[in-house]
Formats: sequence, structure tokens, C-alpha cells
Amino acid sequence: MIFGKLNPARSVGLAVLLGSTLLLGGCNDGSGDPRAEIGPNPKLPDLKQFLFPPIHIAHVVGWKQGETPNVAQGLKIQALATGLQHPRSLYVLPNGDILVVESKAPPAPTPKRPKDIVMGWVESWATSGGNTGTSNRITLLRDSKGDGTPDVRSVFLDHLNSPFGVALVGNDLYVANTDAIVRYPYKDGETKIDAPGKTLTELPGGPIDHHWTKSLVASPDGSLLYVGVGSNSNITENGMEAEHNRADILEVDRATGRFRVFASGLRNPNGLTFEPQSGALWTVVNERDELGPDLVPDYMTSVKDGAFYGWPYSYFGQHVDPRVKPQRPDLVAKAIVPDYALSSHVAPLGLAFYTGTSLPEAYRGGAFVGEHGSWNRDALNGYKVVFVPFSGGKPNGMAQDVVTGFLNSDNQARGRPVGVAIDKSGALLIADDVGNTVWRVTSAERVTSR
Amino acid sequence: MKDDTKTLYTTANPYSTAQIAGHPIHPMLVPIPIACFIGALVTDIVYAVSGEIMWADFSTWLLIVGLIGGVLAGIAGLTDLLSNRHIRAQPPAWPHGIGNIVVLVLSFFNLLVHTRDAWTSVVPTGLILSIIVVLILPVTGWLGWSMVYRYGVGVLR
Repeated sequence: MIFGKLNPARSVGLAVLLGSTLLLGGCNDGSGDPRAEIGPNPKLPDLKQFLFPPIHIAHVVGWKQGETPNVAQGLKIQALATGLQHPRSLYVLPNGDILVVESKAPPAPTPKRPKDIVMGWVESWATSGGNTGTSNRITLLRDSKGDGTPDVRSVFLDHLNSPFGVALVGNDLYVANTDAIVRYPYKDGETKIDAPGKTLTELPGGPIDHHWTKSLVASPDGSLLYVGVGSNSNITENGMEAEHNRADILEVDRATGRFRVFASGLRNPNGLTFEPQSGALWTVVNERDELGPDLVPDYMTSVKDGAFYGWPYSYFGQHVDPRVKPQRPDLVAKAIVPDYALSSHVAPLGLAFYTGTSLPEAYRGGAFVGEHGSWNRDALNGYKVVFVPFSGGKPNGMAQDVVTGFLNSDNQARGRPVGVAIDKSGALLIADDVGNTVWRVTSAERVTSR
Repeated sequence: MKDDTKTLYTTANPYSTAQIAGHPIHPMLVPIPIACFIGALVTDIVYAVSGEIMWADFSTWLLIVGLIGGVLAGIAGLTDLLSNRHIRAQPPAWPHGIGNIVVLVLSFFNLLVHTRDAWTSVVPTGLILSIIVVLILPVTGWLGWSMVYRYGVGVLR
């Protein structure tokens, strides 16, 4: 309970928050059409700074018996597994077994300023999915019949440290905890790993660890690992020294654990995956907050070796952020404009290219994006899974809503989508962290390819 | 003949209502906002010069503690002011009270500005508000001190 956790410092923060809300209550943040900010050329308004930024987060109510999200025409959805502990990402093993990474944020650091206390409270609303136990484990689901009812469910790995990314290369299974990439031996068909893990390389972790999810993918030849390391702040308010090797995608040599910065200026990169047609590395990125309801659009982009994508100095190319000191015009000048905007504050955390064949033809080759949903604008944005059509390895067309209904009619969150994956049968899987469910989306008409 | 002690004080000096054993609470609390708001200006200046975020964080804490102390001091002061017409009759009373309400309102907005992230939480708006507040403080302080040292408000005997 929120009020059960109140301490004196937190009460002060709350008083300030409530006082300010009353003062500015009823104001609309003047947000525009979120769809104007989707695509390669989003319409960017002038930046605004606030005395009190818009804060609106969907209160979590969970799924009632029999409730499911809504799907686009031609699709159907059912729960693959329920009663999980804050599932955040998914990984499908070569034999079709599904790894569900259940993960919770690392312990919050000591507050640096009163706002940290208030924001901690706001975030507790964002992720409070009831008591979901200790989490920080990986559950294996095996659906031998391929009908969406797993016949094996076992705890695959336990006692992890806020894990997120998983990658298998040969018999080496890598788990990206929030502070390290750890390697485990894996044999085909195993439902549980008992062997202790071996640290391949440490990653930037606590004590602040603001963006803590470490997305992971192996290069197609298996020699390298790519890991997304989010920034340690919204916009450097924890000091530049806290940002060492952060807001980066690191390239890790699998043989030695040595890493280098592959690309930088990516505020919070997740969903690292290789686009199958072009072979390029793609990511979805959470952009900065508190510049207005329609700034800054989150985006998906191909990631070029050595490229700089703006954070913290600028956004969407050369739009300078005045909150950063000292400014770096030299870096702003070389900042790359991302490929495809997904609209502001939608919080994309999952990305999967559709490589299967069992969903309708229109989905072939495109990208599914899990949008966890907004907190920094009055009209909620995100809280859904969208599909971005691709052609020739590049986005081609408007994003379409594929899975919605995570919000009920009162704008309360029944669930929130995070990681997405394609299972062996070609179905779309969605990790729903506050709904504690993995959803499975298939064709409405049964494709009889088995 | 009245033997009410309050009447006795009023014949000598205007008495304080918010007091503990004859010691008025208001002057005990006013050093808190004064010290904190001056401190916040100092840390704002150091941040503006150095860009070291720690100083901006100090400013925020100083502003919030100053505001809490200031509101409490204001409640004690307002209690004295409203419950004794002899205090209300002193020339500095209303300018002192209104001036300090302005200080608290400006500092509240200053705190909101300081909740922004990084550079623009201080420069320029936060720093300007801190300067204005610290310029008002000696004026309202002078008026407050004259209430005590010149007109003997809250002074026994």
C-alpha cells in the first residue's frame, strides 16, 4: 500500500505534490494528436518547461477472470501463462521453449533531492501490480502441442539481479542482470539450470541505476553481444559522472568480456534485435521527459557503429536541450536523426520483427513494439502493442494498433505490455508486467501448417 | 481593577499569544527561513558557476526546509498579529507580515522551478527568484526587529 510506506520525508514530498496539484489542478497540458508524432518526420512543437510537469499514470487494477486485451481484426489472443511475478521480457529457445524473465527494479538509491521521493511514489503507482513475490527469476514455459496451453512450467533460473536481456549462443546462455552479463551452461531440453553463473562482464549498475533494464542480443555470427545500457537520469540531473558508459549500446566480445561503446546518445535503448532483411541492429529508445506532452517522441532506429543519437545534448537531431550544462555543440552537430518516431512518452520497451508465417500476410517482415505507456502527459499514450510495417529493411507506413485494451474504460491499467517475442509457431508473445501475464496472439483462423 | 496577567502585559508591551512560558514562538522560528533562503542563494550561485549538480540539490533541500520553517513562523506570527490589536496597531506590523508572505510565495515557486532537472532548475529563473527573496529579507527583517526592539512586542516588562 502507498500509505503504508509513508515516511516523514516522503510526506513532505507528498504535501508539495498535492499542494502543487491543487494549484494547477484542472489545467490541461495542451497536448496535440499523438499520431502526428509517428513516423520518420514527427511534428515537434517548441519545448516547454513546467513549474509542475503533467503527471498522469494509469492506476493498476489488474485483469479480472476472463478479461483479455483486444486485438486487431484477423487475430485472437489468449493468456499463455498467468500468475507470474512481474514478467518483463521474453526469449524463445531454439527448441521452442519460452523463457519469461520476471524482474523487479533494483532498490532505490537514497534520495538526492525532494523530487526523488515524489518520483519514487509516482513510479510505485506505475509498477504496483499487487504483491508479486520476490521476482528476479526466469520461468520456462513449454507448449509441446503448440496450442497455447503450456504442459511444462518450471523455474529455470532463480535469485537473479533485476534481469532483463537473454541471449543463447551455442550452449552458452547469457543473462543480462542490471549489473553484469552472466553466462550459464545450457543443454537443449533443460527446464532448469542449477550450475552457477559466471560473470562475463560487469555493467553500469547501482547505486543510482535509474534506467536499469539491460537489453541483450547476440550478433548473427555469435562472436559479439550487444547490450543496451540506459541513462542514469532523465537529463543529467544526477551529474555527468553518473553517466559513464550509459545511454549507450555496448558491444561485448564474447570470448574475453571486453567491451567498447558501439553507439551512444541513446537515452534508454531496449528491444535490441537484428532486422532480418538488412541485418542491421535495431533498438527502441525511451526519450527524455518534462519538455511537454508532445516532446520528445520515443523512437525506433537502426543503430550505426560509432554513431551518436543526441542524448543528453540534443533530441531528434539538432534540437538542443537547454537543461544540459556544459553544452556540447560539437556533439550536437553530429547527432543522428532516428529512423522512426513512435510518439511521445509511449515508453517502448519491446521490439520483435515478425519472422513467422502463421499470422496474417500483412505482418510479415514488420516490427511489433511493446509500449509500456506514458506518465508525463495528461492524455495517456502507449499502453499497447503496435505494428510498424517494413519494406526493404526500413519502416514503411504508419504504425497500427495491434493489441490494445490494456487500459479499461476508466483509464485504469489492467496490464502494461513490455517485452515482445515471436514463438516457434509464429505467434506473437507479450510480457505484461503489472498484469503478471504472458499473452499469445495468433491468427483468428487456425492456420493448419502442423 | 483587573488582575488578568494579559491585561498587565498590554499596559506595558503588546503581548505575544503564540508563546511558551512568556517566550514568543515567532522569533524562535524566523532564523530557519532566513538562513535557508540565504543558503539557497549561495548554493544556487555555486551551481551556476560550477555546474556541479550537488549544489543544485542543496538548494532544493534548503528551499523546502526554509519553506516549512517559514510557514510555521508565519503561523506563529499571524497568531500574534490577529489576536492582539495592539500588535496590529504597530506601524511595521502589516508591511512585515505581507512582505514575508511574498517571500514564502516566491520561495514556493522557486521550489517548483528547482524541481526541474539539471541546469534550468537554477539558471536563470531559480537564481533570480533566490536573489529577489534575499533582497526582500533584510527589509522585512528590519521591520520585524523594530517590532521587538523599538515597540517591545512580546517583551515582558
